[in-house]
Parts: sequence; structure tokens; C-alpha cells
Amino acid sequence: MKEILAIVRMKKTGATKKALISAGVAGFTAIRVLGRGRKVEDNEVIMPCKTRLMEMAVDDVLDLHDTEEEITTFLDGTRLFPRRLFTILVHDEDVPRVIEGIMIANKTDRGVGDGVIFVLPVLDAIRIRTGETGEAAIW
Amino acid sequence: MLLIRAIIRPEKKDEVLSALSEAGYHAATIMDVVGRGKQKGITIGGVVYDEIPKTLILMAIPDEAKEAVVGIIMKTAKTGTSGSYGDGKIFVLPMEEAYTVSKGVAGL
Repeated sequence: MKEILAIVRMKKTGATKKALISAGVAGFTAIRVLGRGRKVEDNEVIMPCKTRLMEMAVDDVLDLHDTEEEITTFLDGTRLFPRRLFTILVHDEDVPRVIEGIMIANKTDRGVGDGVIFVLPVLDAIRIRTGETGEAAIW
Repeated sequence: MLLIRAIIRPEKKDEVLSALSEAGYHAATIMDVVGRGKQKGITIGGVVYDEIPKTLILMAIPDEAKEAVVGIIMKTAKTGTSGSYGDGKIFVLPMEEAYTVSKGVAGL
């Protein structure tokens, strides 16, 4: 029995749910969290996005230096981003399939911020309705 | 690899996160939770408040970083010199695998 924690983009919630269903996962819990990943030191990754955001900035009311700082901290991961945290309980043998599905559904070409997946061991699970324990309680 | 779940005071969140970032442990997931500890909440004038807002920090770290990360959280999340009730708890969980989706590989 394993617990999979997957942190994904808000916009990818639907795609992740579909991927989980096609991987055969019956149930999951999803909550809204804030997070940040590794600091982005590679300028090439954030440059295209930064140029686009800088063009959108209103330059006659805002101080350009402040705007640039805001955008840079937003893109390099200093600030916290909203993300969706999925908690999924699976049988041992299903772990690779579920991870594969989540990876495919969440991969984008942006290079950063696609999320992470953690796999934790679980000692026991109990279904409250029937009192079943262990593997039988998952699905 | 280990998963750190730290429950801290919401007002200490920024301080803890910037201390962790300075020490090189930048990645973290934060969520707002409510809970109570073994003091059974706070009683003010006969009213028991047992859903006290706290902040939960999730961090995935390599085994050898445990001491450092726990130490930083312990030091920065503490209130006063000796600490007080409600400063929070840190749980350390074993983690078997981790995957970064953008890189498509296993590992932190």
C-alpha cells in the first residue's frame, strides 16, 4: 500500500483527474495549497515569460523597476504559487502506472513548475463503512 | 528521502520560509489547517476554541538534510526564548520515491 502525493498546476486538475480514472484509481483527495519549487537560476527558462509580462505592465502609473522586480520574483520561484495537491492511496503494483499517468497529463513545455510526485509507504488503511482493513480498504 | 510535515503558527510562516530558503531548502508546499493540541485548544471565558488556525508545511528532503531542516524550523518557529504552547510540531515521514514532472525523472 502506498500513498501518492502529487502537486500539480491548478489548470491541470481536470487532466490529472482523467489520468487517474484511466489508470484505474477509484478515489482521491484534492486540496488547494500554496508552494514553491527549486529556485530558477536558468534565465533562459523565465525570459520568454518575463518579456511577455513586461509588455503587459502599465508603464505610466507604475515604477518600472518595481514592476520588473515583482515579475522576476514571480517567475524565479521566490514567491508562493497556488497548486493542487492530490492524495491517492494505491496498491503497490499500481504505483508505476499511476505515476506514469500523472507525469504524462502534467508535462508542459515550460520547463519549470509542472509539479512533483511523492510516494510514501502506508502501514494500514481502514474503510469506516465496512471495517475492512489493509489492501481491501483501498478499492 | 524524507517528507517533513511541520505545523507552525501562521504568523511565523514567512520567517520560517525565508530562513529555510537562505539555508538552501527552497522548495516547500504550504497549506492552511485548523487543529488542536494536547492542551485541548484554548479556553477563553468558558468558550473552548479547539479549531486553532495553523500553517502546515510539506517539504521533501534528502535524508542527510533532516537535522538542518528540523533545526531551522525549531529555531525560527519558536516564540519567546523557551517556546510556548501552540508553537507547533514537526513530523518526519519516510518517502520511497519522488518525481519531478518537468524533468520527467525520478529524484528530488
